[in-house]
Amino acid sequence: MSDKQRILFGFIVLLILAGGLLGVELLRRRAAQPVLADIEEELPPGSIPVSWNGTTSAYFTPDDLSELALVSFVDDEEGKTQEGWLLRDVVLLVMGETALDDSCTLTVGSSSRDKAVELSWVEVRDEANMVMFDLSGRGTLKLVSLLERMDIRDEWVQDVDSIDVVCP
Amino acid sequence: MKERYFTTFELILLSLLSALVVVAKIALRFPITLSGHSGLFWMAIVIVGAGVVPKRGATSVMGVTSGLIAAFLGLGDYGALNTFLSYTLVGVGTDLALLLLRDPANLVAAPLAGAIGHLAKLLFKWLFGVLTGTPVGFVALGLARAVVSYILFGALGGLLGALTLRALARAGFFSYLAEKR
Repeated sequence: MSDKQRILFGFIVLLILAGGLLGVELLRRRAAQPVLADIEEELPPGSIPVSWNGTTSAYFTPDDLSELALVSFVDDEEGKTQEGWLLRDVVLLVMGETALDDSCTLTVGSSSRDKAVELSWVEVRDEANMVMFDLSGRGTLKLVSLLERMDIRDEWVQDVDSIDVVCP
Repeated sequence: MKERYFTTFELILLSLLSALVVVAKIALRFPITLSGHSGLFWMAIVIVGAGVVPKRGATSVMGVTSGLIAAFLGLGDYGALNTFLSYTLVGVGTDLALLLLRDPANLVAAPLAGAIGHLAKLLFKWLFGVLTGTPVGFVALGLARAVVSYILFGALGGLLGALTLRALARAGFFSYLAEKR
């Protein structure tokens, strides 16, 4: 086999791998759609649902956040820059300001990490606390903050997949 | 006495390059949030390993070794086994690609091998996400974008590796190695 043929086969293998992966993922998503419709959930894959007093009322995807202002801080633990979008701005984007007051609490959770953190709206609203989502290298959202009870890596919530807002 | 497939000298070279993969993964950070961007240096080192030790299985050894180091250092977000397999599959994927493409110093074959090897890692991550239900970032941001990103950075890394091998050859490194052997 000549070098040209080998390289051609290499390209074909690469295309088959990439195409196969995308094709199987597409079929998988299509197969999952009727189930989603049955339970009246139309959340796009990768979206993060936001519930209001126990009822899922909105959702967003990391792509939706690109219209928000970027903020950043350097964490004390590792000295790395955490950059992303304020949780306040994200919640206001999907729910609107009028729905929230100082008595509201927000629980940001990750089912895969079995972690959750409850924050008051007052804490979230204060920009100095830097309660924000950082986009991890893998593309999932990580809740980080300068709040004293959230200022080390173990206290952050990685792979966030839910936000529950409770307003009495 | 039966001759070993890899000499001790080759295993030392592969181990050093494996450690370099892990060090590069920890130390080198690009200020971009594209998944798979670490493939740029990762695949470069793997392709250099394939050129420095031109035997089948060399990059698989690198994958297993770097996977063990990374797992013991606690790298990755989904546990030691996931980290170990991710790293291992980069090496195995590159090895399989080089079975077909052969010359890691070729400026077309090396980027292809880099892209295929790097894509093997994405395939594993995707399969891991499907089997465990873990939210993996590239699903949230679009799998197609992740596939393109992995291929692009894997190919760039492969190209960088091939250029490095050519530079090493020009500098007489392979003649030096031949003397050592």
